[in-house]
Amino acid sequence: MSTMHEPFDTLAQLHAMAALDGDELRQFEAHVAAGCARCEAAMRETEETLARAAMGGPPTAPPAEIRATLLRRVGASRRPRPVRFMRWAIGTAAAAVAAAVLSGVYVAARYEARLGEMAREQARVKEALARNELALREQTAFYRSAVELLRDPATRVVELHGQPAAPAAVARVVWHDTSGGLLFAANLPPAPAGKAYELWTIAGAAPRAAGVFAPDATGRATLTVPAPPPGQPVKVFAVTLEPAAGVDAPTGPMVLASK
Amino acid sequence: MTGGGELIRRMAAGDRDAFARFYDRYAALVYPVVLRIVRDAADAGDVVQEVFWESWQGAAAYDPARGSAEAWLFTRARTRAIDRVRAVRRRGETFVAPVDEGLAAAPAAPDAATQAEDRSIVMRALERLPDAQREVIELAYYRGLTQTEIAARLAQPLGTVKTRLRLALERLREVVKPT
Repeated sequence: MSTMHEPFDTLAQLHAMAALDGDELRQFEAHVAAGCARCEAAMRETEETLARAAMGGPPTAPPAEIRATLLRRVGASRRPRPVRFMRWAIGTAAAAVAAAVLSGVYVAARYEARLGEMAREQARVKEALARNELALREQTAFYRSAVELLRDPATRVVELHGQPAAPAAVARVVWHDTSGGLLFAANLPPAPAGKAYELWTIAGAAPRAAGVFAPDATGRATLTVPAPPPGQPVKVFAVTLEPAAGVDAPTGPMVLASK
Repeated sequence: MTGGGELIRRMAAGDRDAFARFYDRYAALVYPVVLRIVRDAADAGDVVQEVFWESWQGAAAYDPARGSAEAWLFTRARTRAIDRVRAVRRRGETFVAPVDEGLAAAPAAPDAATQAEDRSIVMRALERLPDAQREVIELAYYRGLTQTEIAARLAQPLGTVKTRLRLALERLREVVKPT
């Protein structure tokens, strides 16, 4: 029995020094949990030795506010209730383990979730900002080109009128025969799903595709119209309803047209 | 003088004066040990406060048959201090002072005159150990390293570390033995 027990004598000492780890720690804890007076005595003796060795150093008083704080806490606390030792020890240990595990896991999970959320939120904000910035830049460029166009004496404004498919629709094209121009439309009905409006410039016989656009929620739309081939001044502008990808020649109903 | 065990018994009954006396008797002995382990005055203060607060709350659990008041208190203090050190280490503050630093800081061997006093004898118990034993006790008791960590740190086989720890403990026991 004593030879079989021998390794545990050392383990008990090591355990009292909190130096045990790994498999040996698990083995020893299982051994003591099953009840071993010899190991408990060995641990107690080691604790006594270490305590006596540790407290033998020159005394140093901790900061005075620690005493004051403790006495205040103790003064405010209720009288501790006597509890049976084992119940107290088991309860305290179990509660401490449960609290540590639960709070650790819970806090980690919460923070990870929160961090992920924040990262996603930040990405969303960044993306929205980038979109807004791009939209603003496009808008600014558009208005700047409008101002440039209007400054040129060769620029003219062409009116487009609503056709039976959209009688209330109106539009103007600010047009320069060599630089191209800009379309401003209003009162356009929303394009059906899969459809968009397409602008056509007509110089000779065949209409030329000049861009696809969709109105915003208020029925307005703008479009930059490319310059026509040299020597082919545009005579007529027209808008038809076409498949959203655009087509090379008009197929749908005419919505707007200049005279 | 009222014994530590008697003070704890009175604390268990809710005697706040007994707690004040308990604190006054042991705080200055516990604090340097905790400070030596956690190596930060603010942390050491926190740990000391925690340890004495737990002593007040857990006084009823003290069983004199299971050990002295000093062992009861110091075991708790050392455990809390090591918990703090290990938590700091887990947080990624991986700095651990080189082994030699703690040993170099230890006072030189005592002369015969200072050994006369009880406390001096005990105080120097650690310093009187052979270097190899003092080193492992230092790493285990004051740095909170486990046996495997000590073995890795010293590049020694685990068995050697265990033997040194056991021998060191036996030497300490001889020195601090109640007379």
